[in-house]
Amino acid sequence: MSQKKIRNILLNILVVIVVCVTLTPFYFMLTTALKTSQGSVAYPPQIFPTEITLQHFKDVLNPAIFPFWRYFRNSFFVAFTTASLAVVIGSMGAYSLAKLDFPGKRLFQEGSLIVYMFSGILLVVPLFRIISSMGLYNNRLSLVITCLVTTLPAALFMLSSYFTTIPVSLEEAAMIDGLSRLQVIYKIVLPLSIPAIMSVFAYVFMIAWNDFLFSSIFLATPDNLTLPIGLRQLFSSKDYVWGRMMAASFLTAIPVVLMFSMIEKFITGGLTAGGVKE
Amino acid sequence: MAHKSTLKKAEARLGLLFILPSLILIASIIIYPLCYNVYLSFHKVALNPLKQPKFIGISNYMNLLADGDFLKSLMLTFLYVIITVISSTTVGLLVALLMNRKFKGRGIARSLVILPYVAPIISLVFVWQYMFNGIYGVVNYITVDKLHIFSAAPAWFDHPVLSMILVILFDTWRVFPYSFMMILAALQAIDDSLYEAAMIDGAGAWKQFWAITLPEIMPVVASLIVLRSIWNFYKFDDVYLLTKQVPIMGVYLYQTAFSVHDFGLAAAITIVLFIIVMTFVLFVKRKVNRI
Repeated sequence: MSQKKIRNILLNILVVIVVCVTLTPFYFMLTTALKTSQGSVAYPPQIFPTEITLQHFKDVLNPAIFPFWRYFRNSFFVAFTTASLAVVIGSMGAYSLAKLDFPGKRLFQEGSLIVYMFSGILLVVPLFRIISSMGLYNNRLSLVITCLVTTLPAALFMLSSYFTTIPVSLEEAAMIDGLSRLQVIYKIVLPLSIPAIMSVFAYVFMIAWNDFLFSSIFLATPDNLTLPIGLRQLFSSKDYVWGRMMAASFLTAIPVVLMFSMIEKFITGGLTAGGVKE
Repeated sequence: MAHKSTLKKAEARLGLLFILPSLILIASIIIYPLCYNVYLSFHKVALNPLKQPKFIGISNYMNLLADGDFLKSLMLTFLYVIITVISSTTVGLLVALLMNRKFKGRGIARSLVILPYVAPIISLVFVWQYMFNGIYGVVNYITVDKLHIFSAAPAWFDHPVLSMILVILFDTWRVFPYSFMMILAALQAIDDSLYEAAMIDGAGAWKQFWAITLPEIMPVVASLIVLRSIWNFYKFDDVYLLTKQVPIMGVYLYQTAFSVHDFGLAAAITIVLFIIVMTFVLFVKRKVNRI
């Protein structure tokens, strides 16, 4: 065998190792969800479950035992609403940034870049006061608004860098053919930008779905809790029910993982454009 | 001529109209709260949001500077940021270099490596708690019984130093995929002809890396370092959820506000953090502009 071939094999083995190490926690998440309650606390730990059961998944999905679906609905409402709004508001803003000229444009661009860096914990104290005084405490809308704004700069950036790749001549030609600016946008620009729009939707959905910080301060009653904060409350007592915990964790991860795997290619491109510009 | 200027005006009007929703949202949910926060930091704030805050001058700031816990937390945060930024960027870079070759299953391998960055933190924290459990956790089984690295199960969640190691490991694992994605994209944008030319000149793989690869991806690596430093300086969720032993600034701030309920003090902490990061950003910006 040539030296090059040996080197390639070694590097491929290294790839396998990297992937396996990265996925180890996911492996234990799934296998523990399938272990029996005794199996999950056995010592030595069962790397391969000796007995497999679907009981924990059934328990978690049974509304009589576990409020998983209620939390799921809340999470879905927040994530879906936030992502939809981000696409609409983001597309409008991004078109303006990419194709139109207006006073204060540069200032806005630099400002939103700064906002991209300052969010999360820095906003928690004043936002909590503002949200409470507006009467939006324990209202899922408070979460929608907050997640929307903290993801908006990235959404604007991803969309506007995509819009700029659409040739101006295409739009001009359509306008000469008698289309108005608005018609050009929704008949030409938006259909051409479906990949970018889907990426933004998935990205914002993921951020809102995974959010813990804002949910933990804005939401209070079990009716309104989203999955991250709901699961944390359910499992904060120390009588570990690992099987259910892992089953719930696994089910919580599925929607975002599926969504991300579908649009991974576009997201990478969009985020990269952001990274380079910075 | 007149037609053109009205067209321009119409454009500007449409531009403003389209940007307005974004502008209003960002102004009311970010700019206004940050200003309101300055106001709060000079007041004693009652728990009841309807009660008027009482002006107390710079007392909150004085208390903060005299508080040993605050300074300790600040140092801890710097340590956390420096280590995690180096580790996540390095791992991301190495994995990106490893996967920037042609091999079977490359697409799948890349998607799988990204999973920790995508999955909800709460799910990941739960499974780490399980794996690092002191009695039946698989990590202790391997490190104590199999490899004999430790003589007894380490208290990963209760010992300050071990907990620090734990949160650093967790963060590195969770965010390296982000660096990986960025650097990989930058690697693939490098023009192949550069390498071909280098090969003709007789440059080996090592030399090619230093002369071509590194300079080409440096802008991306630099921006990754800056962004990750800022983001990890404000880190809250995974550290807070994993252990009570690593009170970095995000956790300290959160507890001051929502466990101790001292909003005035928490607002003052926010301002201090803001100033530190703003100084960092301005410093970096000047450096970058000079190059």
